[in-house]
Amino acid sequence: MKIFVDRVKCQNHGQCAISAPTNFELDANGELQYQEAFSEENISDIEDAVDSCPLQAILLKS
Amino acid sequence: MPPLAGSRPRIGIVGSGIAGLRAAKAILKCKVDARIVLFGDEAHRTYNRPGLTKKRYPLSDALDMMIAEDVKVNGAENDALTWRLGTRVETADLRDRILHLSTGETFEYDGLVIASGVRPRTSVWGNGECGLHAHRTLRGLDDARYIHHRLQAGEKITIVGAGFVACELASLAKEYGCEVLMLEALRSGPFENILGERVSVALGRWLAQHDITFLTGDSARELLCDLQPSHPGPPSDGALFIEAIGSVPNVEWLHGNGLDLSDGVRVDEYMRVAPWANVFAAGDVACYPDPWTPGNLTRMEFWKNAIDTGDLAGRSLASSMGHGPVTSRIGYFPSMSTEVLGLRIQIAGNPRMSDAMEIVCGDLDQLDQGVLVAYLREGAMIGAAYMDKGARFNSAYIKLLKSLRER
Ligand SMILES: Cc1cc2nc3c(=O)[nH]c(=O)nc-3n(C[C@H](O)[C@H](O)[C@H](O)COP(=O)(O)OP(=O)(O)OC[C@H]3O[C@@H](n4cnc5c(N)ncnc54)[C@H](O)[C@@H]3O)c2cc1C
Ligand code: SF4
Repeated sequence: MKIFVDRVKCQNHGQCAISAPTNFELDANGELQYQEAFSEENISDIEDAVDSCPLQAILLKS
Repeated sequence: MPPLAGSRPRIGIVGSGIAGLRAAKAILKCKVDARIVLFGDEAHRTYNRPGLTKKRYPLSDALDMMIAEDVKVNGAENDALTWRLGTRVETADLRDRILHLSTGETFEYDGLVIASGVRPRTSVWGNGECGLHAHRTLRGLDDARYIHHRLQAGEKITIVGAGFVACELASLAKEYGCEVLMLEALRSGPFENILGERVSVALGRWLAQHDITFLTGDSARELLCDLQPSHPGPPSDGALFIEAIGSVPNVEWLHGNGLDLSDGVRVDEYMRVAPWANVFAAGDVACYPDPWTPGNLTRMEFWKNAIDTGDLAGRSLASSMGHGPVTSRIGYFPSMSTEVLGLRIQIAGNPRMSDAMEIVCGDLDQLDQGVLVAYLREGAMIGAAYMDKGARFNSAYIKLLKSLRER
């Protein structure tokens, strides 16, 4: 499974970076940067990030 | 009253918002062999409510469809789940386990989830007209469609209130190029009850700097309408006048059951509505023991809160029917964000309960350069807020949150 963020929907709210800082981060300009791949042990943080996004911009794709 | 031998138990969920849907999903995931019926008085399946105010849409004949498509939430496709949309639950009799529906039918349940959410507070009845304006509110997809249409036409908009919905709406209207007037008669600026006066005044300045006419106190009050519907004032000019002055929990349908409905529906840490072993509540309507300030109750109107409490209510209900233990209690840590005219505002913890604030970095006169604020109660940090155009202090903010959570 990989993380996919819909850039059209994403508005850089940064809620995901709070839930799963290992994979999501806002850069100095406030733009979201993220890593697609994650390890199984972080899955609950990642799911938390998916749910926390108020714009439902984060998808997990296999 | 155990379910009749051999028949599948019936579960009713009142409210087809995200809390109701998540409860249904959790029950299905626990493999409860039951029939689940999800009642919703809106005509739409579950959608992403926060998405209603987050972006501007291009001019199009298909605007209504575009918004609906954009805020679509994947439903739970399962034969065990029936959607009863456009159907209101008028009253409930918890002792006899019966719901009375707007269609005149009744529904007998073995388990019940209350997820009926909140509705906007108004100063006149419904979307009524006072002497001067047609009052509207914003909560549902239909409201959002109406408002986007009118904003696209570039109309002038008056917004009463300065909370989240009011500020997001003002920001949206500005993006559409509309003239915006905001009236806040009670407080000195946006989010004052949460973030305190100093931050609130700074946010009010931010609005004014972005060409929003932001009036407070008497100058706002003067422009509020006369609330006597019979008052023979000048005829309503039909201008866009939106009230965003808070919300009211949808609990009237539960009257007569002896429940504590003073602030939503009171539940325990498993989302159970005492004294009933088979009734649970979740989402905006549920008032639960605050895991972060023991002894206090909390009721939160946030998306992630509805997801987590909906999930827990579903698992607790499954457990009450003998499907698995409920292990985790409410773990939701309050954290939300919004964007107002390019300024990202993030709030976490419980700043409302603070007795002091401290600027950790930045300057309230220069919000766009980033300001990080800690909120304290008896010397200990209980909340934080971060405002910025970029994300200069974001890692510092996340660090603050970590120490808040590990308290
Ligand atoms: C414009 C707007 C922007 C927002 N932005 C954000 C944001 O950025 N971040 C965030 O965290 N939160 C945000 N929120 C709050 C968030 O949307 C809510 O916390 C969340 O949707 C609550 O979900 P819920 O399922 O508890 O309630 P609701 O979504 O209100 O669902 C309850 C449903 O039950 C129905 N109902 C009520 N009574 C009955 C009855 N008797 N019979 C049948 N059906 C009934 C209601 O009509 C409604 O459809 C926003 C809210 C609004 C209005
Ligand atoms: S929470 Fe959603 S909108 Fe915010 S940065 Fe993450 S993906 Fe983007």
